[in-house]
Amino acid sequence: MKVGVIDYGASNIFSVVRALNSLGASTKIVKTPEDFKNIDKLVFPGQGSMGSCSKKLSENNLRDSLIDALNNFPFLGICLGLQILFSESEESEGEKGLNIFSEKIEKFSEFEDKTLKIPHMGWNQVEISQNHFLFKSIKSNENFYFVHSFASKEANQNEIFSKTFHGEIFNSAVGKDNIFATQFHPEKSGKSGLMILKNFLDWKI
Amino acid sequence: MSVTIRIIPCLDVRNGRVVKGINFEDIVDAGDPAEAAKRYDIEGADEICMLDIDASYEARSTTLDTVEKIANQVFIPFTVGGGIKSVKDVEVLLRSGADKVSINTSAIINPKLIEEASKEFGSQCIVVAIDAKFNGKNWSVYTHGGKNKTELDALSWSKNVEQLGAGEILMTSMDKDGTKSGFDNNLNETLANNLNIPLIASGGAGELNHLVDAIKIGKADAVLAASIFHYKEISIRKVKEVLKRESLDIRL
Repeated sequence: MKVGVIDYGASNIFSVVRALNSLGASTKIVKTPEDFKNIDKLVFPGQGSMGSCSKKLSENNLRDSLIDALNNFPFLGICLGLQILFSESEESEGEKGLNIFSEKIEKFSEFEDKTLKIPHMGWNQVEISQNHFLFKSIKSNENFYFVHSFASKEANQNEIFSKTFHGEIFNSAVGKDNIFATQFHPEKSGKSGLMILKNFLDWKI
Repeated sequence: MSVTIRIIPCLDVRNGRVVKGINFEDIVDAGDPAEAAKRYDIEGADEICMLDIDASYEARSTTLDTVEKIANQVFIPFTVGGGIKSVKDVEVLLRSGADKVSINTSAIINPKLIEEASKEFGSQCIVVAIDAKFNGKNWSVYTHGGKNKTELDALSWSKNVEQLGAGEILMTSMDKDGTKSGFDNNLNETLANNLNIPLIASGGAGELNHLVDAIKIGKADAVLAASIFHYKEISIRKVKEVLKRESLDIRL
């Protein structure tokens, strides 16, 4: 089994690759449409802004292959890899996401409480709202590592798998069919994070 | 439910070995960095920090080798600092396995570096480290591992780097570093009250209460310490138990 890891050109993908390799998975960096050949699963890690990600996907001709892959392979989106699955983001108005989820990625609201900081950075609790194979052996309210300034607040109830609170509630994991995505970074969340990645490797559609 | 206080053990590394000094001097050997990082991960560290303390050009490949060794076994956020002078240096460290880099002297010599590096890789991976000492009125910033005094004041400098795109401040009190007499809570509180990015308090940890005070009084978002964890004087788990008892949000 080969796990493709999307490298659209502006993201640090190495920690994801290292974590997958440590679990015994063989990985392939996916940079061009041809690279989608001979992979069985796909991980989309990402940092940075949705606008630049969207642009780079188009520039590198990855958009069509990616949409094709989203229909076929077990897919795990991480951080920006979750946000890009939505239709658009307040971070980059006018730039189109992949529209797997029709809602919008939004900014955190302005906080009254000055102790809450943006970006939301650090370990926070993930409250599981719906069971999923990728949450196997994970308890509700375990801590995972987050780094982000925008979030999914609105989504279809049956597509929300976990919620997290940072001044307000947002969706920390969403999914449908062969697609699962986390706002947190499983590759940086110690044992619990590695468990999610292991579950992803074991996941059969 | 909220984001937890982070406990960050720091490895001061020279030539591929952990070392520890007192008041930025008197260096002694303290073991293998990758072994230490692994132990900290198991004990419940929320992040790992590694500072390359002499960071000479010749020792650079040793440093990258150490970074890679740690990154291959520890899957929590990993910050590396020391000797970073250019966007290229940042990129090489990120490629070697660092999640964040900590920039100190070079940020002062060339503030544009913060701007360029945060644009290129995102603010989340740019930590600006500040070494400062109280001068009777405010806190003077020092460069080159505490050797050279600058005209900068820690508060205005930290606000400046926040504007430039720094994602976090790692504040080390030179008055407190190595003394085990507690963090400089006045310094930390002054910064925390004026910054919108997270503040990591460093320098002075000697006993459990110091870490509690750094959070409750100093209002730090994270605490960093080296020797108390390294010599097993205090375990990370013990710190977290105490913080939990104090009703602070922590990851157990």
